[in-house]
Amino acid sequence: MTTLSTMDAFDEQDLTVARTPTQEAWRRFKKDKLGLVFLVVIAIYFLVALWAGTFGWGGSYEVAGQTRPAYEASMGQLGIQLDGKPFPESQVPPTLAGGANTILGTDALGRSVFYRGLQSTKVAFIVGTFGALLSVVIGMTLGLLAGFLGGWVDRVVVFVYSTLASIPYLLLMLAIAFVVKKGDFADWYDDLKFRDFDVSDFISLGLLNLVVVIGLTSWVTLCRLVRAEVFKVRELDYVNAARSLGFGTGRILFRHVLPNVFHLVIINFSLTFVIAIKSEVILTFLGVGVDKEPSWGQTIAGAKNELMTGIWWPLATAGTLLFGLTLAVNYVGDALRDALDPKLKT
Amino acid sequence: MIQYVIRRILYAIPVLLVVAFITLWLFDIAAGDPAAIKLGKNPSPEAVAALHEKLGFDDPFLVKYGKFLWSTVTLDYGVSFTDDTPVRTIFARGIGPTLSLTIPAFLLGTLVSVVLALLVAFYRGSLLDKTMTVVAIAAISISSLVYILVFQYVLADQWKLFPIWGYEYGFGALTFVALPVLIWILLSIGTDMRYYRTVALEEISRDYVRTARSKGVSERKVLFSHVLRNCLIPIVTRMAIIVPFLITGSFLLEIFFGIPGLGNTLYTAIGNSDLPVIKAFTMLGTVLYVIFDILADVSYAVLDPRVRLQ
Repeated sequence: MTTLSTMDAFDEQDLTVARTPTQEAWRRFKKDKLGLVFLVVIAIYFLVALWAGTFGWGGSYEVAGQTRPAYEASMGQLGIQLDGKPFPESQVPPTLAGGANTILGTDALGRSVFYRGLQSTKVAFIVGTFGALLSVVIGMTLGLLAGFLGGWVDRVVVFVYSTLASIPYLLLMLAIAFVVKKGDFADWYDDLKFRDFDVSDFISLGLLNLVVVIGLTSWVTLCRLVRAEVFKVRELDYVNAARSLGFGTGRILFRHVLPNVFHLVIINFSLTFVIAIKSEVILTFLGVGVDKEPSWGQTIAGAKNELMTGIWWPLATAGTLLFGLTLAVNYVGDALRDALDPKLKT
Repeated sequence: MIQYVIRRILYAIPVLLVVAFITLWLFDIAAGDPAAIKLGKNPSPEAVAALHEKLGFDDPFLVKYGKFLWSTVTLDYGVSFTDDTPVRTIFARGIGPTLSLTIPAFLLGTLVSVVLALLVAFYRGSLLDKTMTVVAIAAISISSLVYILVFQYVLADQWKLFPIWGYEYGFGALTFVALPVLIWILLSIGTDMRYYRTVALEEISRDYVRTARSKGVSERKVLFSHVLRNCLIPIVTRMAIIVPFLITGSFLLEIFFGIPGLGNTLYTAIGNSDLPVIKAFTMLGTVLYVIFDILADVSYAVLDPRVRLQ
C-alpha cells in the first residue's frame, strides 16, 4: 500500500508523458510569455489584413474636395458611419475632429492615414506569406534533393546557389524586378484570365513582382541549412531501417527525412517573412514595388518629401505599424527556434 | 593550401561565366533600346542606326556575351550612356567617398558590437542579457528607411547637429559622413551583436575556459584574454566576407545624404537605365564577392591551426 501512496504523491504532471514533437515544442514555446503576447499581436494583424481584404483595394481612397455624398458613400463601403462628422478638406494633422478618419491625420490627398495604415496590412501579409512560401519551397526542395541524393544533383544545386549568392543582392532583385515589370511578361500577366476572373485585379503586377523577387533571391540560406542537415540525417539508423524495408526514395525523403529537418523550414519562414516586408519598403522606394495598393512602403517612401515640411504623421503611422509586425514575427521566430531545436530539450 | 586556392579559383570561373550571362540577359530584356535613352524623343532613323552600330546593339547575343566577358578581363567597360564618361573614371571617382563612409562605419560598428556581445555573454542569463536581446530584436525590426528619415529629420534638420546633405573631399568629409556612420552602426548592431554573442557563448562552453577557471584565473581575464582571442577567428572571417559590400557602398545612406560614392552612382545609373555602368557594377561586385569568399576561407585556415584546407 505504501508504494501506491508514494505513487499517488507523484502527481500526473510528474509522470513521463508521451508527447508528439509538436506538443513538446508547443509546451516549450508556451513558457515564453512574451512570445505568447507577440503571437497574439500577429493574430491581430492577420485579422486586420482579413478585414482589409473584405472590401477590395478601394476602401479609404476618399479624396479631399469630394462632395459629401461621394465621401459618405466611400466611407460607407468601409462600414463606417460618419454621423455628421466633417470630412477632411486637405492634409490635416492628427485631430479628433473627424473621428477615426482624422485620428492620425490625413495624407496629401486627404485620405485617412489611420485607415490606410490598417489597409496596408493586407499587402504586408501577401508579400510576406507568399514571398516566404515561394522561398522556403525552393530552398527546402533543392536542399532535400541535394543532401539526400548527393552526386551530380548536389553539385548542380551547390553551383546554382553559390552563383546566386555571389551576385550583389540588390542588383539581382532589381534585375528580376525590371524583367517582371517591364518585359513581355507584364503584358501577358495583364491579360491573364481564368474564365471571368481577372488575376491581375486580385494580385497586381507590382505585388506579384515583390513576391517573385523575394522568393527567387532569398532561398539560399535555407537550402544550405537543409542540405547540411540532410547529410547528417541520411546516415542515421532509422533511414537505413526504412531503406532495408524497401521504401522508395520519395517516401523516405518526405516521410522520414523531411520531418526531421522541418524545424529549419518553419524558422526560416518567419525570417523570410520579415525580410519580405522590409524589402517591400526598399523596393517600393526604388520604384519597383507596389504602386496601386496602399502599403507601408509607399507611405514611408512618400515621407521623404513630407518630413522636411513638418508632416510626420504618415511616416509615424506606417513606421510604427511595420515595426509592430516585424518585431512580433522576429520575436516569435526566435522563440520558435528555441522551442523547435531538438538538441535543447529542457 | 596553394592547391586549395587554385582549385577555388578554377571553380570560380564557371560561376563568373554564368553570372555574366545572367547579368547580360536580364538587363538586356529589362532595359530596352539605348537609343531611346540617349537620343531623346523622335530621333532620326539614321542616328538610331548609327548608335546601334556603335554600341553593337544589333549584335547576336553570343557576340555581346563575348565582348562583355572581355570587358571583365580588361576591366574596361566602355563609356556611360548618359555623358560618355568612361565607366572606369566613374568608378574611380566614387570609390573614395564610399570608403570614407563605409570603413569607419564598419570598424566602429564591429568594435561596438563585439564589446557589447562580450558584455552580455559575461552576464549571460541576467536581466541585462535578456533586455539587450529584446532591444536587439527591436532594433532590427525597424525599417532602414525609417531610421534614415527619422535621424536625418531630427538630428540634422531639427537639432542641426549634422549637415543634412552634401560631401567634401579630404578631412571635411568627416562632418558629412558622421551621421550616416552613426545610422550604419545602429542598423548593423542588432544583427552583429547577436551573432558575436552566439560566438562568444560557444567559446565559453569549451574545455580551455573550464581549465582556466579551475586554475583560478578571474572571470574577466578569461573573457577578455582567452575567449576574445578565440573569438577573433569568426570575427575576422566575417569581416572578410563583408569587405565587398564596403566597396560597393551603402545605397540608401549615400542617396539620402548626398555622398557621391558608388552606391549613389549606381542609383543614378539605374534611374537613367545606364546599362554599361549597371552591368559593370554587377560584374565587379560578383568578382569581389568571389575573391573575398576565398580569402575568408584562407584566413580561417591561417588563423586556426586546426583547420586544414583540402
